[in-house]
Amino acid sequence: MIQPQTLLNVADNSGARELMCIRIIGAGNHRYAHIGDVIVAVIKEAVPNMPLERSEIIRAVIVRTCKELKRDNGMIIRYDDNAAVVIDQEGNPKGTRVFGAITRELRQLNFTKIVSLAPEVL
Amino acid sequence: MHALTALPSSPRLQPALTLDLMRTTTTTTGWCWGRPAPCLPCNRRSPSSLHVALCRRPSDHEVGAGDADDVFDDLFKKYGKVVYKSGDQKRPTAEADDDSESLSFAVTLAKVANEVKAADIRVLFVKPLVYWTRFFIIVTAFSRPQIDAIGSKMRDTAEKQFNKIGSGDTKPNSWTLLDFGDVVVHIFLPQQRAYYNLEEFYGNATSIELPFDNQSLFRS
Repeated sequence: MIQPQTLLNVADNSGARELMCIRIIGAGNHRYAHIGDVIVAVIKEAVPNMPLERSEIIRAVIVRTCKELKRDNGMIIRYDDNAAVVIDQEGNPKGTRVFGAITRELRQLNFTKIVSLAPEVL
Repeated sequence: MHALTALPSSPRLQPALTLDLMRTTTTTTGWCWGRPAPCLPCNRRSPSSLHVALCRRPSDHEVGAGDADDVFDDLFKKYGKVVYKSGDQKRPTAEADDDSESLSFAVTLAKVANEVKAADIRVLFVKPLVYWTRFFIIVTAFSRPQIDAIGSKMRDTAEKQFNKIGSGDTKPNSWTLLDFGDVVVHIFLPQQRAYYNLEEFYGNATSIELPFDNQSLFRS
């Protein structure tokens, strides 16, 4: 359940550390974003000496949420944190590696690039 | 289940019943390794009623314990090997068939890439590392029109020869990805290929030998 003003961790090595959601893309009148949604976010905290800087506005894909993700087979997946992967306008990830476990739903949503950089797919 | 209710009252019936029960467990619950222990359920998914029946038997009818051992010995002789479930789990031969089919598909796509002059083509067998696909094809192209050409030709070949429709990027991108399910194609510009360095990330995957590499060596 990501909405504007939500703070998210960054699950890649792009150089950002913390993001704040400021807009959900393609949601129309929907209030919350879930796993696989693209958001516009501002970087609240960044690693020094990296290309991305604080207060930069970027796009990101949500890869983990504290809100449960339900599957048709009854499986429920819930993570401990809200996390996103920074992408550019074309949909390529800004970082070269993704950290932590991500879900296979991202592949169905055409984020196979992120899935192929991830160490573990649930 | 009516057999289960009859079990405590008639000790003579036990061997036949347990045999039946064992058959049902091996056929419905999949892997069953070696000799099943009487007091432990064979695996976690075994029905609870069966579990109760197996555990109660030695205490209720200790006379029949020796018979049961013989039955288990017979069972072990008969079914002592790995018993496969006939349901959703695939047999190893079917799995190997799928692998070889995907391999031929991957090699065909790599040949297509070679025809459109893509460079540094690598086919990786990533099935042991990730469960969601079998083969990666990593390819370098030198311009966006070339990426477009490679991508569209691969899509055409996949649709005509193998009847597979891929998802992924439709527009040429600096990292264009085509997803055909069992085979995932990555088309990079040289810079992006060095930046993302997928070969290093999947360094443990076995690389597949390609037929045309040797031919190009002979020509040059």
